[in-house]
Amino acid sequence: MRTFVAGVVTAALVAMTGAALAAPPADTLVEVKKKGVLVAGVKDSLPPFGYIDEKSRQIVGYDIDFVNAIAKKLGVKVELKPVTSASRMPQLQEGNIDIIAATMTKNPERAKQIDFSHTYFFTGQKFIVKKGSVKSLKDLDGKKIGTAKGSTSEQNVKKAIPTATVLSFDDYPQAFLALQQGKVAAVTTDEAILAGILAKAPNKAQFEIPSLQISDEPYGLGMRKGDKAFVDFVNKTILEMEKSGEAKKIFDKWFGPSTQFHLDRNFKITADK
Amino acid sequence: MLSYQFDWSVVTSGKYFEWLVSGIKVTLQLSAVSIVLAFLVGLLIAVMRMSHVKPVRWFAHAYLEFFRNTPLLVQIFFWYFGSYKILPQAVNDWLNATNFEFAAAVIALTIYTSAFIAEDIRSGVLSIPKEQMEAARSAGFSYLRSMQYIILPQAVRITVPPLVNQFLNLAKNSSLAMSIGVMEITYQARQVESYTFKGFEAFTAATLVYLVISVAITALVHLYNTRVLNLQRAA
Repeated sequence: MRTFVAGVVTAALVAMTGAALAAPPADTLVEVKKKGVLVAGVKDSLPPFGYIDEKSRQIVGYDIDFVNAIAKKLGVKVELKPVTSASRMPQLQEGNIDIIAATMTKNPERAKQIDFSHTYFFTGQKFIVKKGSVKSLKDLDGKKIGTAKGSTSEQNVKKAIPTATVLSFDDYPQAFLALQQGKVAAVTTDEAILAGILAKAPNKAQFEIPSLQISDEPYGLGMRKGDKAFVDFVNKTILEMEKSGEAKKIFDKWFGPSTQFHLDRNFKITADK
Repeated sequence: MLSYQFDWSVVTSGKYFEWLVSGIKVTLQLSAVSIVLAFLVGLLIAVMRMSHVKPVRWFAHAYLEFFRNTPLLVQIFFWYFGSYKILPQAVNDWLNATNFEFAAAVIALTIYTSAFIAEDIRSGVLSIPKEQMEAARSAGFSYLRSMQYIILPQAVRITVPPLVNQFLNLAKNSSLAMSIGVMEITYQARQVESYTFKGFEAFTAATLVYLVISVAITALVHLYNTRVLNLQRAA
């Protein structure tokens, strides 16, 4: 019995170590050109960043337009792979995807594990609540607050309201369902995402996004650590997109006055210091 | 090239260690409460399944087929999100003010596992010669009393090994409760991963916890087999 258990444990550990150490391509730029396809990890249920278009059954959105522009510059095809907030970094590190374009906030902890492009989208973390129920952060003391697993939103809200219980769901639509059913008092994440959730909600008149911001959220495209040639290429591409006006066009297409979000573009893509 | 630096201190001390410990507590509570309830409900359903009253038997049969043949994750979502539509608002408000995540997980695990347990108990009962029941009935016991005093004590005794298997499954299945925000060990391991990116260490710790729980349960069955049933260990 004892030797059997020891054997199983050893075998499991060896198997897992092997998986963890499998080597992804060292130079993505060369590799992607060779393959002729850029594999991007994107969200598929998060309008307008990445979601499945009802008519075409394709994943479309703000993030996807950036991936397409980068692939066009590279002269390769695009393959989109749906990822979650929790799975995107392991997927990248294991080499299953080449780039993350999935509403990913740049922060120092993540930057230790992967490299980020310049900021290609800028927003802040807010709350979505039942209309009139929350006037200040104090109203959320001791309440349950929903968000998605593995996101920075979770960590920020714990800092901002330590007495709240944070319930993490698999994705934001589920967290919003919990809010609709009164299981949580608020759903928290980046404003642009909340606006997307609210726009899709059937009973949107009952909810609101109060102007309580608890953090800045600069989004970056994620690439493997030390993959310098690829990072430089992506940065150069998005700076050019800003210069040519293409980046603004993409923003207006998904968030501008003609959409249901009516967001102002309060940022420009610039080189990080 | 990926260079993964192992850092076991993440899971052996400090804040993240505390998270994992609190996760272990929730896993143990969830499993213990659900195991007791699932056994009791399973026993009841098994008796109903063998009842001579047709509607009772049909109900038990439908219960078994329904809950054994739908995925546990779907059932968890049903009790947590789906129950909202069928319950009165006052009940919903009350549930939402409590730790409903935990309760919904207990309900789902209990009902799901009870269906399997009921079938195990029933096959145990069927293995008792029917003359025993006849003897009990002719001695003046009612059907229920015959079950209670004569049949079930024998049946449960031989049903213990398969039952423990179900308990083991339940303990492992409890990890699905993370999908509705119950902060058990898998949830906490994932939390540690998303804060530290030390997923390998965190999930290894969680794996070991499940392994310890399973090995402990298996050891108990082994003890039961040798000490209580006087069975020789199978080769």
